[in-house]
This record gives sequence, structure tokens and C-alpha cells, in this order.
Amino acid sequence: MYPILFLSFSGLITLFLGFFQEGKWVKPATILFLAIASISAFIDWNKPGAYFFNMLQVNNFNLLLSLVILITAILIVAISDNFKEIEYAHSAEYYAIMQFSLVGAIMMTNFQSLIMLFLGVEILSVSMYVLTGTDKRNLRGNEAAIKYFLLGAFATGILLFGIAMIYGGVGAFEIDAISGTLASNQAQSLFLYIGLVMLLIGLLFKLAAAPFHFWTPDVYEGAPTIFTLFMATIVKTAVVFALYRILHQSFQNMHLSWSYILAGCIALSLIIGNLSAVKQISFKRMLAFSSISHAGFLLLGLLHVSKTADKSLLFYSVSYLLASTSAFGVLLALKNERTENGRSNENISVFKGLATRSPFLSAVLIISMLSLAGIPLTGGFWSKFYVLTDAANDQFFYLIVLALLLTAVGVYYYFKPIITVFEKSDIQEAITINPIFKIIFVLTTLGTLVLGLFPDLLYGMI
Amino acid sequence: MSLILLIPLFPLIGFLINGLGFKNIPKSLVAPIGIGASLLSFVFAFIAYSEFKNTGEVIIVKAFDWITIGDLNIPFSFQIDQLSILMLFIVTGVGTLIHLYSAGYMSHDAGYGKFFAYLNLFLFSMLLLVMGSNYLIMFIGWEGVGLCSYLLIGFWNKNSDFGDAARKAFIMNRVGDLGFLIGIFLIITHFGSLEYTQVFEMAKQYPVGSGIITAITLFLFVGAMGKSAQIPLFTWLPDAMAGPTPVSALIHAATMVTSGIYMIVRSNVLYTLSPVTLNVVAWIGVATALVAATIALFQNDIKKVLAFSTVSQLGYMFIGLGMMAYTSGFFHVITHAFFKALLFLGAGSVIHAMSDEQDITKMGGLWSKIKITAVTFLIGTIAISGIPPFAGFFSKDEILAHTFAHNKAIWVLAMLGSFITAFYMFRLFFVTFTGKFRGTQEQEHHVHESPLSMTIPLMVLAGFSIVGGFIGMPEIFHQPHFLENFLAPIYEGSESVLPGFGNLGISHETEWSLMGLSVVLALVASVFAYVVFVKNATIPKDSSELSGVKKILADKYYIDDLYLKIFSNGTSKLSKGLYNSFETKFLSPLVNSTGTLINFAGKQLTRIQNGTTGYYLFAMGISIAFILVFFLGLDVLSFFKNILGGFSK
Amino acid sequence: MLQENTALIPDMIKQIPLVNYVLLASILFVIGIVGVLIRRNALIIFMSIELMLNAVNLLLVAFSAYNSDPNGQVFVFFIMAVAAAEVAVGLAIIVMIYRNIRSIDIGLLNKLRG
Repeated sequence: MYPILFLSFSGLITLFLGFFQEGKWVKPATILFLAIASISAFIDWNKPGAYFFNMLQVNNFNLLLSLVILITAILIVAISDNFKEIEYAHSAEYYAIMQFSLVGAIMMTNFQSLIMLFLGVEILSVSMYVLTGTDKRNLRGNEAAIKYFLLGAFATGILLFGIAMIYGGVGAFEIDAISGTLASNQAQSLFLYIGLVMLLIGLLFKLAAAPFHFWTPDVYEGAPTIFTLFMATIVKTAVVFALYRILHQSFQNMHLSWSYILAGCIALSLIIGNLSAVKQISFKRMLAFSSISHAGFLLLGLLHVSKTADKSLLFYSVSYLLASTSAFGVLLALKNERTENGRSNENISVFKGLATRSPFLSAVLIISMLSLAGIPLTGGFWSKFYVLTDAANDQFFYLIVLALLLTAVGVYYYFKPIITVFEKSDIQEAITINPIFKIIFVLTTLGTLVLGLFPDLLYGMI
Repeated sequence: MSLILLIPLFPLIGFLINGLGFKNIPKSLVAPIGIGASLLSFVFAFIAYSEFKNTGEVIIVKAFDWITIGDLNIPFSFQIDQLSILMLFIVTGVGTLIHLYSAGYMSHDAGYGKFFAYLNLFLFSMLLLVMGSNYLIMFIGWEGVGLCSYLLIGFWNKNSDFGDAARKAFIMNRVGDLGFLIGIFLIITHFGSLEYTQVFEMAKQYPVGSGIITAITLFLFVGAMGKSAQIPLFTWLPDAMAGPTPVSALIHAATMVTSGIYMIVRSNVLYTLSPVTLNVVAWIGVATALVAATIALFQNDIKKVLAFSTVSQLGYMFIGLGMMAYTSGFFHVITHAFFKALLFLGAGSVIHAMSDEQDITKMGGLWSKIKITAVTFLIGTIAISGIPPFAGFFSKDEILAHTFAHNKAIWVLAMLGSFITAFYMFRLFFVTFTGKFRGTQEQEHHVHESPLSMTIPLMVLAGFSIVGGFIGMPEIFHQPHFLENFLAPIYEGSESVLPGFGNLGISHETEWSLMGLSVVLALVASVFAYVVFVKNATIPKDSSELSGVKKILADKYYIDDLYLKIFSNGTSKLSKGLYNSFETKFLSPLVNSTGTLINFAGKQLTRIQNGTTGYYLFAMGISIAFILVFFLGLDVLSFFKNILGGFSK
Repeated sequence: MLQENTALIPDMIKQIPLVNYVLLASILFVIGIVGVLIRRNALIIFMSIELMLNAVNLLLVAFSAYNSDPNGQVFVFFIMAVAAAEVAVGLAIIVMIYRNIRSIDIGLLNKLRG
């Protein structure tokens, strides 16, 4: 709760900081604000309760989610570089918008009333529309922004219709009331049914699950890399836990109805995500398709209402966002390496010769790829393992088989960058890495390995 | 956080400092860090002991929950009980002495920092092995010591022979590890846990001779065969002498090779439940003891002789275990750790003095030149030969007494082996230290006593080799058998499944006469050796100059060549055959076509991503409609029917 | 389906059954969707989306009135505010695109694909 208040306020301050000394202080200040916001989350630690007329709910798990989101944001802000490559950049605005978007993300994980879910989704989405289009002169950025905006607004409409229908069926917005109504009333109202489906579709869109994934590759490719990273990590985490609250904490009695929709989306996401990634040349686009397949895996964790679902999902999210931060971060670190027409090369080929030029970066990249592929000794292995064990059930047995088969396909394309790293390149000179990047990389890579070696450190803690 | 957690942590920290920073850390700091880490562990082992003594209860310290899969929970935790305390003392104590010795022995080596890093890593793994509270942590330590052994055997990696020896050790160990792993899997499936306390508690319910327990123990024993160099997986240990001598002393004599014995003593409940496995253990043990001892008779490399003697002594320990005399086997582990480490370090000192000469035919007459080494070496020789009151006598005699009580055939063979042992050890001593100097003039000029950092460990170990046996006085001396009383609680499980399992059951007269017989045998052997090598001044010949049985023995029964022919060449032939038929004709096309199929599917699928917003919107709309119709179809129809009905009203 | 506590609902509203409101809103919503799907002009698509949102508003108000629960109407205000923010951002994006390619036909934007 306190992070929300604090970030709304600090975002405004950040805007003003942009006026001083050409915005030199904006980035450090943002990191400081995010750190304070993270600490402020602890005010409510061990004090579960409700805020804002029972619209937001606070408990330790929700606070943990807020912390995960905030800490990821700190990592992301730390590897951003004041958007120097963007003409007419107003870095203060972007940092402010990032902070505002976090307000949305945290609301999405803490909501009790669907009103707050809607507000959270919108705050996050509208911020992301702006951030996607930050590079105003870049046609690709423009295209990504308009695609994201139009498709996103459309999905918002669907989501809203769903909420309205649920309201019609229950007479309240609180998820407690929904689960209460469902538990007491055997007959399922048609309003509720339509509402659930539409709400689900709206959130699946934000999660980038097939068949609502079409925006993902284009937007990921067109947006500035740092915001792609933001989308892949924070937005995904927020949405998946919003889905968790909806499906597991309010509509758990309608499990039979929604699990089939979910199963269909999972199958499609896994197939489309993994197979399309195989032929990609652009690294960002490959990761976009990989994020679709990861959406499928996250949904697998939601498929059954089980006691361990929240643990598995959190583990999955954390290991995924550590690996993504490393992967996108390496791309950011290489931004100035090779440029074409003034734009940095974002193809997999940019990693050529990295093994000799910077063993450190190659190690970071390789470990992140292994984790994304789910190779043992990395966090990615255990996250897939937990999610699959949760989903293991006779009913959806074929999904598990499919997931395992397509994981094998995943290994194929995740190893492409790894192989490229060891290819010979004409350029031999060593790459200098910003010390901040180094720290972040060490953190994310160590995190990935620690999760892989000692999964219970996190899994047992939750 | 318990202080116990710090014991394995110190060597790990030492490894990290020396291992990551060996290029930047000044040479003068490397050894203090390495020795300090080991010494701190030793000190903390005492603290752990006092903590344990206060309560007398088994202490289990959980560092964290490690893996939770369904109902199976494997914590990362350590267990402190009588057995692990003793192992702790051996590992850290002998370890510290050998670290100290290495500071002198390796001082001229370029890889000084690397060496200490590896030693610390080894210590860390070994501590995991003996302190872990479940089989998985033991396995991690098991693999860790295997890795360190590999790294240290191949320490001088410029020499490709040494690299081969390292690989041989690693591969042979892997064969054993496979058995060990299968054993662990069997334990998981049958007991649903890997924690010692839980597994042993459940095992008590099984009847003696239970099939599954026999399978588990046999597989675990395969692991022990690899690690403790028993037939058929013993040939790696002599080759492992390629490593620096301190390594041979620490890893290939005192600690790592005894982990197989530790494992069996730890799992004594399971082994007591399976007479079949015990028989196998005993017979393999006696076969190994004899084979290795006979080979040692004709070896001329000072370290090779000691290596085969180690294999042979390990065989004795397994004989003891096979007789359910777990304490006796473990007793021999302790005394052997002292005198064998002493002998190896002494050999190292000799090699150091002889400017890296290892062939005993080129030594001789060193007695007066390197007095401390010679005297301590003699003490070690007497100890291993089983002459009272030195350490080896008590432990070996205990094993032999138990063997006599249970199985006369094995006892006869073991006595024979014991005789041979005394002979070849005295042969080694006499050829090396007495007679005329046979080396080059340059070597003779260079011969010198080793520095203090090397002789202190020798003297300390010599002291232990003399008095170490008193912790296990035979009953007939009317002294308390300290070791047996101390270890009694860990056999509580065995006692409950087979009451009185370890009783000797022979009269005092028999025991006295057995003891006398073995002492006489050892003395005869030593006198025999004296006659041959001092009186007649025989100088051992190289294997190429020998013939008949002697040549077979000197060439180690050709076992290495046999393995090379069968396994090495066989495997390469098999893989060539498979490559030519299965791989190229079947597997490759199959794999390639899968790849082609996936690439094709990927290409087709990217087509649906055509970049047009309108199309994307349309696809989304269709999907929504599809979901609504598919999942709500009937409901929606009835809904509209109702509405239409409402209008018509 | 709904606890129609008729006593609290004004007669004016009661004269039209709830189902009619739902139907009207749904039809408006579908018109919005169809608009989104078939038009190529970004502005018109945007307008259609606004139509969808307003259909939802109508739905919420209707439910709110029939439920005698003010929450729904409060939510409508939230939606209006958010929609205004969305309009601001959306129009800005459309203007940005118009500046660059002198057109707001979404069919022209297909560089990112495959």
C-alpha cells in the first residue's frame, strides 16, 4: 500500500528533477525512490489488512510480490542510460512514467476490488503505450506504439465488459464477494460466465498468451530495449498474479469452465511461441516469442487450483525475470557495438565473437539462455519443474507432454545465441562494461544459479 | 546458526580466496590461508565435539531446506554423531598436517596457489561427505572428492601421462558412482527419504536377508569399490601416484579412499540386514588384499609400493566390515590414516631429498643421511607390519580375530596377506635406507633432510602411529576398548535387527594364540626381508629382467592390459560399429528430419505474424468469438431464447 | 440472477426490464467491436473503442440501478477518467504517426512482421 502512495508522489518529484542540471540526478533519484518504496512495503509486513474501502488487500504474499516488482524495477532502471540514443529525449518523463506504471503493477497484484484491477491494468498499460513510443522519430517505434495502443485499448474494452458482466452477476466488485456468491449459489449465472470469459481474455492479452499474442513480437521488437525488458518482466509478473487472484481466489469454484479455456491458450502459446522463435533473426523478436511460450508455462501453473500454485508462479516469475534481465541487459550493453543506419544491431549476430571480446558478458548471456531453456542447475529448470508438477494431472496429461516436447524445441533456439557467442568475429577489441552493468549482471546471474542450486531457498520461504 | 556449519565453510572460503585470486595473492599468503582454513576446521571440530559431548545426543544442524519434491524433502543439513566426529578429527587433523607439509614440499612449484586451492576444495568436499545427514549430501561430497582427486592427480598437467592417470581415476570412480547413485535411487523409492535417521529407523522393520536391502547394499558397495579401490576397480589408485606426494598421502591413503568404509559403517543397519552382501564384501576384500600385496612385492617405485599396500590394507578393512566387525574395520581406518600418511609423507621426504627420484633401486644407504625421515619411516613400517605395540597391530589383529571366528578360509588368506605385507614393507625400508648409495653423484651431493614444515608432520604422525592403537585395546588386556564403547550408539540399529551381531565369540586362549601367531609371522617376514636385502644385499630388478611368476606379479597380473583390451578397445570398437550403422543410417536422418520439420513449421507459423494491425485485431476478434461460441454456445442460445421470449410477452 | 430488491428501485426504471439495458449495451459493444475490426483509419478505430467503453458504462449504470448499489456508478466515473487519459495518449500517438508518414491508415504500418 505504501509503495503505491510513495511512488505516485515520487514520480511527480522526478518530473521536476528533470529541470536541474540537465536531469543528471533523475536516474539516481529514481533508484533511490524505488529503494525507499521497497522499504516502505515493510511497514505493512505481518499486518494483513485492507485499504481504501476494502479495495486493496495487503498481506505478506502480496507485499512479497510488490517487492519482487520493485526490485526488478531497480535492476531495470540501473541498466538504463538516460535514453541518450533517443532524439529530443526527456529522460525525467520516462523515469516518472516508469514509477507511475509501477503503481499500476502493484495495484494489480494487491487488488481486492475489480475496480482496482481495472485501474491497475490501465495505469500500467497507458504508461507502456507512452514508453513504447518514446523514440518519436523512429518509424518502427511509432508502429509498435500504435499497434500496442490499438490492440491494448481493444483488450481493455473486452476486460471492462467482463468486469461489468461480473458486476451484473454478483452485484459487487470485491473478489471475496464473488467467491462467496459462487460458493453459496450452485446455479451459475450467465452474466458471471460471460464476464469471467471476457475478463480472462482481457488479462490473457496483457500476458501475451496465444491467441491474443499478436502484438507481442512487433511491440517487443519496435520498443526501445529497456522498455521491452520492462514489458517482459514487470507487466508479465503483475498480470500473472492478477490472473492468480481472479482464477484461484475468486473463481475457483468455476474451475471446470475456465480450465478448458486456459488449456487451449496454453497449447497454442507453447506451439506458436516455441515454433515461431526458431526462425527469428532478431534477438528481441526471438525473446518475444520465447516470452509467449513462457506465458504458456505460467498459465500451466494456474491450470489447477492447488496449494502450491502461488509458490510455483512466484518462483517461475523470479527466475524468468532474472534471466530476462540478463539477456536483455547483454543486448543493452552491446548497444554501441555495431550500428546500422544509426540504429544498433539487435540481431543475434551481434553476439559474434563475444567469447573472446568479453568472457564476462558471454557467461551472463549463456547462463540466462540456459535458464530460459530450463537446463538444470539454473533457476529455469526448477521453475519449469514446479509448474509442471503442479499441472500434472490425468485430465491435461497431453499438455505436459506437449510442454516437454516443445521445451526441447526451445533448447534449439536458445542455443543459437550461445553458438553465436563462440563464432569468430573480425572485431577483436575487448568490450568495456559499465560497472553498474557489471553489478547488475553479477546479481542476476548469481540469482539464477542460486535458484538453480538451492531452489528451496525461495520455494521453501514463500 | 550453529558453529558446526562453519567447519566445512572454512575450507570453502579458503578455496574461494586461493582459487579465484591465485594470480593476485602473494605467495607468502597462500599457505597461511590454506593451512589456516584447515586448522580452523580442526579447532571447530573440537567445539563440535564438546557440543556433542554435552548432550550426548545426535546433533542434526539444518542449513536450509534444499529440495522439496512432493513428499520428498532433502534438507541441506549436517549430522554430528560419534562416527562423524571421529571422521572429522581424522580429516581435519591429518588434513592440517598435510597442508603444513605441502607448504614445504610444494614451495618450488609454480602452481602453489592452485595446489592449496584444490587441497582446500578437497577438504570441503570430504567434510560434506562425512558430515552430511543424508545420502545426497554424502554423494555430493563423494563426487567432490572424486573431482579434487582428478584435479590433483593431474596437477602437473604438462605431462600427458599424469593427465591419463587422472582420467583413469575419474572414469573408474564414475563406474562406482553409478552403482552408488542407483543405490540412492533405490533408497528413495523404498524409504521415501534419504535422511540417515529416517532410513535406518525404517530399515529396522525389515527381516534379515531382505531382497531389496541386499540390492541397495550391493549397489552402494559398488560405489565403495570405486572409491576405495577394490577389485575390480582398483587399478586407478597406483596410477594416481602421479599426483604430488602430499596428495597421495591425504587423498589416496588417509581420507578419500576410506570413504567407502565410512559409508558402510554409516549404513551398518542395512549391511547387517544382508548376509549376502557381507559375504561379497569380505571375499572382495580378501581378494584385493592378497592381489595387491603380491603385486607390491615386485614394485620398485617407492610410491607404487605404498599405493598397492594401501589397496591391500583397504582390503583388510573390507574384510573386517564383511565380518560385521564394523568397529574393527573403522579402527583400521584410523590407524591406517596415521601410518600410511606417515609412510607417504616419508616417501615424499625421500623423494624430495633424492631430487625427485622415485626408483628404490637407485637409492640405498639413506639411513644416516636423512635421520628423521628414516626413523619415522621405520616406525611406519613396523606399524603397518603389525608388530606390537604399534598402531597397526591392534587394528589388524582385531580384524583377523573376527575373521577367524567367522570364516576360516578367509582367515588363512588374510594371514598370508599379512605375512606378505610385512615382507614387502621391510623390503621397501631396507632397500631404501640401508646398503650402499646407488644414485648419481649429483643426487648424493644434494641429499638433505627436509625442512621443518615437512618433518614436524612426520614426527607427529609417527607419534600417533606408535600410540594410536591404544584407543582399541583387545579385551584380553583388560583395558577398556575406548573406540568400541564410543561407537556403540551408532550400531543401535544393527543391534536391534541382529542382537549380538558383533560379538567375537572365541575364547581368550584362542585369541592369545592368534595374536602370537600373527606377531610371529610378521617378525619372520621382517627377518626374512633382512636376510634377503641386507645380508645378501639383493637389489630388486626391473620387471623386464624378471621371468615367470615374478614377472606376472611385477606387471600387476596384466590387469591393466586386460582392461585396456576389453573395455577401452571394446568400447571404441562398439562405438565405431554403432556410428557406422545406427548413427549414420538411422539416428542422423531421424534427428535431421525432426529439425527440418521444426524449421518448416516455424517458417509457416511466422506467416501468421504478418504485421498488419487490422489483421491482428481481426484474429483477436475471431478468437474471442470462438471462445464464446465454443464455451458458452448453448448458454448463449438459451439466453437469446429467453430474451426473445421476454420481448414477445 | 439479481436480487431485485424492487422496493428500492424507482418506478421509472422498473418500467424497463433490466434485460433490455443489457441487450442495448451488448449491441452497442458489438457495434464497437465491428467498428474496430473493419475500419483502417486509426481515429475511427479509436472512436469505436470509445464506443465499447461507453457501452460498458451503460451496462454498469444499469446494473447499479437495479442492484441499488452505488459502486457501479462510481466505477463509471473511474472509467471515464481512465478513458480520458487513454484518449490523450492515443491521440498523441496518432499525431506522432501522422507527422512521420502523413497518414493514419493502419494498413500502412507493417514493417514489423514475421
